[in-house]
Amino acid sequence: MKIPGWTREPLVHFLIGGLLLFAFFAWRGEDVDPASRSIDISREQQARIALQFEQTMQRSPTDGELDVLVDQYIREEVLYREALRLGLNNDDAVVRKRMAQKMDYLAASRAETQQPSDTTLQAWLEKHPVRFAPDSQLSFDQLWFAERPAADAAKARLDAEGRWQDLGERISLPPSLDDASSSDVTARFGSEFVTNLEGAAKDEWEGPVRSGFGFHLIRLRDATSGPVPPLAEIRGQVENNWRAATMAKRRDEAFRILRDSYDVTLEK
Amino acid sequence: MRNSVLGAAALAMMSMLAGCDMIGGASEEASGDGTDTVALAEFPERPLWGDTHLHTDNSIDAFGFGVRLGPDDALRFASGEEVTSTTGVTAKLDRPLDFLVIADHSDALGSTRRLYDAPRVMIQDETLLRWYDMMHESPEQSQLAIAELITAAADGSLPKSLTDPERQKEATTTIWNDHLDTLDDFNQPGKFTAIAGFEYTLMPGGDNLHRVVMFRDGSDRTKKVLPYPALSTEVTGLWDYMDAYEKATGGKALAIPHNSNISNGLMFELTGPDGGPMTAEYARRRARHEPVVEVTQIKGDSEAHPFLSPNDEFAGFGDAGWELGNLDMSGAKKSEMFAGEYIREALKRGLSIEQQIGVNPYHFGMIGSTDSHTALATADEDNFFGKHTGNEPRAERGNEAQNLGTRVGRFGWNYLASGYAAVWARANTRAEIFDAMARREVYATTGSRMTLRLFAGFDFADNAFDGDWVRDGYANGVPMGGSLVGEGKAPRFVVSALKDPEGANLDRVQIVKGWVDASGNTQERVYDIAWSDMEGRKTAGGKLPAVGDTVDRAKATYENSIGAAELNTVWTDPDYLPGQNAFYYVRVLEIPTPRWTLFDAVRFGTKLNAESAANSVSQERAYSSPVWLNAAKKGA
Repeated sequence: MKIPGWTREPLVHFLIGGLLLFAFFAWRGEDVDPASRSIDISREQQARIALQFEQTMQRSPTDGELDVLVDQYIREEVLYREALRLGLNNDDAVVRKRMAQKMDYLAASRAETQQPSDTTLQAWLEKHPVRFAPDSQLSFDQLWFAERPAADAAKARLDAEGRWQDLGERISLPPSLDDASSSDVTARFGSEFVTNLEGAAKDEWEGPVRSGFGFHLIRLRDATSGPVPPLAEIRGQVENNWRAATMAKRRDEAFRILRDSYDVTLEK
Repeated sequence: MRNSVLGAAALAMMSMLAGCDMIGGASEEASGDGTDTVALAEFPERPLWGDTHLHTDNSIDAFGFGVRLGPDDALRFASGEEVTSTTGVTAKLDRPLDFLVIADHSDALGSTRRLYDAPRVMIQDETLLRWYDMMHESPEQSQLAIAELITAAADGSLPKSLTDPERQKEATTTIWNDHLDTLDDFNQPGKFTAIAGFEYTLMPGGDNLHRVVMFRDGSDRTKKVLPYPALSTEVTGLWDYMDAYEKATGGKALAIPHNSNISNGLMFELTGPDGGPMTAEYARRRARHEPVVEVTQIKGDSEAHPFLSPNDEFAGFGDAGWELGNLDMSGAKKSEMFAGEYIREALKRGLSIEQQIGVNPYHFGMIGSTDSHTALATADEDNFFGKHTGNEPRAERGNEAQNLGTRVGRFGWNYLASGYAAVWARANTRAEIFDAMARREVYATTGSRMTLRLFAGFDFADNAFDGDWVRDGYANGVPMGGSLVGEGKAPRFVVSALKDPEGANLDRVQIVKGWVDASGNTQERVYDIAWSDMEGRKTAGGKLPAVGDTVDRAKATYENSIGAAELNTVWTDPDYLPGQNAFYYVRVLEIPTPRWTLFDAVRFGTKLNAESAANSVSQERAYSSPVWLNAAKKGA
């Protein structure tokens, strides 16, 4: 396997080293100096607290409300620091999971914020056309019959006379659809109908075929799976897909690098 | 030394991040309300199917019940992908849904998860400690802990640390914002819509007054607020919150009450919430903020009850078990409570209140949804994943007591594989779906996907179905959810019910009418307006013969050899009196089909107990939103 170029960059090594230290000290609970027992709440921090209140209630807190909020903040900070002093974060499942999540996040963050070039996305689009291909579009006519014999009789008349419009029985389904996506046709006519339709020869009346409603004569006029749209039209979608895949890849790569430096033994 | 190394590393990382423009994962189209992203149809062409009421592992009780699937799994599943359920079973919907509202409880959003993950020594509160131990002991104990939690929330004895909003806020903010990003990632205008919401879990004394709140907007607006907590609040506070949201962001929100059937008479009161007369202001605010109710879901069906509607032979659907008491069974049901619990009666009360104070507080449409706590929005009888993880598919779940922990009352088979919301929207986007809900052009089903159209007007011809009747219906009438102003003549209704293409045939279509009579009393009547085999099934003594039953109890199968693919008619109210205020809604019944309990029995080879077996076949149904007929205002 080819190791990607970015893994050879000294900055990446530096960052990973830093991350390891960061995680280690976070783990050991020593990143806050236990001796520090002074808490300074800046004007900025107070503003942040007030802002959060405003976010829920859509109005500023009163002075009394703000005092209560600040007291709560102080309480939490004191308890948080003391908890770290006591090492309560050790072996805490949620801290553990959260720290792991943060590592993943850091590994993927470059991909999350990176602005990919058109060239990158074009290449991505060409590599995975199926993901961006639109639903197939169906154009067809259909006649509905509750019972098979009526459908057979109508088919015979249609073959003999060529006229179709008034041969079907009444039902609240469209007799004709143009360029309807196959998922929409499936929602309205059911999957059995669409399977039959997609297997039909073009421009020929066929049937009777079954659906959940009864029997149909069908004429498929057009079925296009549609070209994959140009990048300009679906840039957002391609970018999402590229980003999700790239982030996952970065996470895996970063983990593999870290994992390789560990010896893991499983007791049998 | 250590700190300086860390500082350097942190600084390097910060500068790396700062070097790029911070952007979200989703495109602008996906993260907005969907306006101008897809072409709008001239009028809605097919109903969009969805669930507005799904819980994931961010819900305090769902997590405790055992679910470990989050919003992304829920969205994947609803859009048609296969996922693995918490109990390890692969799960996939037969057909994808068109939209999903994830509605996790706003109270302590995500906090059960944190409790579960917390180290034991951190938990000082005795109650929390006991729950914590129960959760780690076994799945059964975990469910019992949550049942206790529901009771505690109901009687106001929750441990302080779970209810203190400020202490919860930071965690809630992160979970909420992450959640909104996830929704945007899965939102595909025109194809699948992921909608933001939460559940407001108001429950004084265990009486269920819950609402689902759903937003019209994308994360650009919804990130500006946090879900509104229910504990120690009143519903008017929720409306204040919604008003503040709309004013501050220019967005829109609506609230959907649910499970009125276990509110012990409180959901649809004749009085105001304080017991005094209802004010016009309260009625107006209620109608404006709550344009639809959830009439059917896993915890029973709230359309009608035989006590209130003794002449309606189908009124008892989905009532068994739920009619015994409130949500946690801390309060038993008294018969005088029913009138405040069932939707048909509420619609009647609405007319009555309107006559007195000039405003109808219960001017709402109807939808169904699941209220599933498994992150799986299942409402198909043959593919039902249960109320919560404890009753995902397994042999005895239909026979067992399922009391949410209490020892009285409800059994597995009382729970319904129900329901879905059908929305007549012009396009599959957040804005269009929301707007259809707001104008009540929606209907409820118990899980099957029949297509139901309803238009009301005064001038529809008998042969209305011969022409382009849908266009004509919109042009010359109002669709479901709309209102007619009386013209002194009987209203006419164009009604079409088309079967689910993958489901059962239709038995009958009914119109349910409610009105206030000359002496000021409310009345109701159910009319059979179209049914299958009209030649063979003649009404006798005012009663239409049953459609029949093709269900094979040994195999859990049925035949579409009875019933009809479509039932339609143009119907005129034969009992209309000029000056009458009334509502009309449509109820559609399918032919009898096996319930989930029967599918379970065949699949697992178990024997249903007598009660469950007697309830193992049902007629799935749809309820349209009503059309109201308002007598012309005097002097207007």
